[in-house]
Amino acid sequence: MSPQLSALLSHLKEPLFAGLATSAFSVLFGLGSADVILASGGSALGWAVLQAMPAPGSSAFATFFAALTAGLYAEIAARVRRRPATLYMIASIIPLVPGGGMYYTMLASLEGNTFRSVELGLSTIMTAFAIAAGLAISNAFARMAFSSSIYSILKKGKIFHKPDRR
Amino acid sequence: MLSEDLLLFAADASRLMLESGGETYRAEYTAIGIIVSQGGTEAECFATSTGLMLSFSGEDGKVRSVVRRIKRHGMNLEKVYRIDNMVRHLLLGDIDIDEAARQLDEVERMKDRPVWIRMIASAFGAGWFSLLFRGKTLDALAAAVMGALLSILIYEFQRLKLPGFLSSLAGGAFAALASLVAAYVGLPINTDAVIIGVIMLLVPGVAITNAIRDTIAGDLIAGLARGVDAVITAAAISAGAGGAYALWRLVLGGQA
Repeated sequence: MSPQLSALLSHLKEPLFAGLATSAFSVLFGLGSADVILASGGSALGWAVLQAMPAPGSSAFATFFAALTAGLYAEIAARVRRRPATLYMIASIIPLVPGGGMYYTMLASLEGNTFRSVELGLSTIMTAFAIAAGLAISNAFARMAFSSSIYSILKKGKIFHKPDRR
Repeated sequence: MLSEDLLLFAADASRLMLESGGETYRAEYTAIGIIVSQGGTEAECFATSTGLMLSFSGEDGKVRSVVRRIKRHGMNLEKVYRIDNMVRHLLLGDIDIDEAARQLDEVERMKDRPVWIRMIASAFGAGWFSLLFRGKTLDALAAAVMGALLSILIYEFQRLKLPGFLSSLAGGAFAALASLVAAYVGLPINTDAVIIGVIMLLVPGVAITNAIRDTIAGDLIAGLARGVDAVITAAAISAGAGGAYALWRLVLGGQA
């Protein structure tokens, strides 16, 4: 095997694992088979972005762009499948979310290692914040591109006008 | 449909949305959308992850309101889709309120995946995560077996209606003990990679992210409630795992 090819394969390994892990979790989250495949694709894409990003300062930047990518993918998948984007979002961010970070934070604090706990806790919150921001921004892009959700109908239309009281 | 029935129906749809893991704003718009589609006015809904309040003004001008407590928390995205879709069709006038009530009833009665599918999915989830966190093949296999067993444990705890705190505590303890035992009997595994793979089935990573998403969206109370829930869950898991470590050291005199 040529060195370039094996380098490429080693880069594809982690996104593949992330996608497969997501497919298992999507089944646990009750998604149907076509949605499981779509969501896994999103999470593999997100992980590939995470891996490809250079890391200036903290991993939160890379996580932000990974979540942004996964979020945009989810919005497009949602339009294609005519289902809420949140189905694909929740599933696609599973490998990114700081579940392990929360666990290690609490473990460090239980072991009396306060500094480590604060350090891990802050990075956990930053990661969660980065993902939430990435999803919020991708959602804003999607709203600009296609404004067809019921929520926009609701906002423009009926609820916020004054009712006529009889 | 009578205004009272409409109110209860909207509250139930919103409650089911929250119980199935829908976002707070989606649960609020579900209730408001149903009421608006039937000509109700001044509809307002305030939802958090532990309960919701809903009120609107009917055709006679009287204001009606209802409170719903939410005690179950699950994640079933198919239900979220079904309810969301039902509200969309209701708003567009494709279906009437009786058809919507029938569809909601169907969603309410939807069963979760059978235990064996949950077992297989948990096994794969734990295994792939263990590989993603730099585990070797053997670590992944060990994590898969423990993940499948853990899913049975969680299922039994849910069936007995024990609080989520207890099942997280027991789950954390199980993951730590199982991998310590596996290493003790001579399996050449990296216990850290195994434990983190198994524990990914329990940790509230999605919950903490959703908490911050709610907060960003302006649902501050809902965000706080979800955040506290996530922190307590993480504390329970690590208390379980940490307790198991401590017990192991106590019994074996420090060889762990």
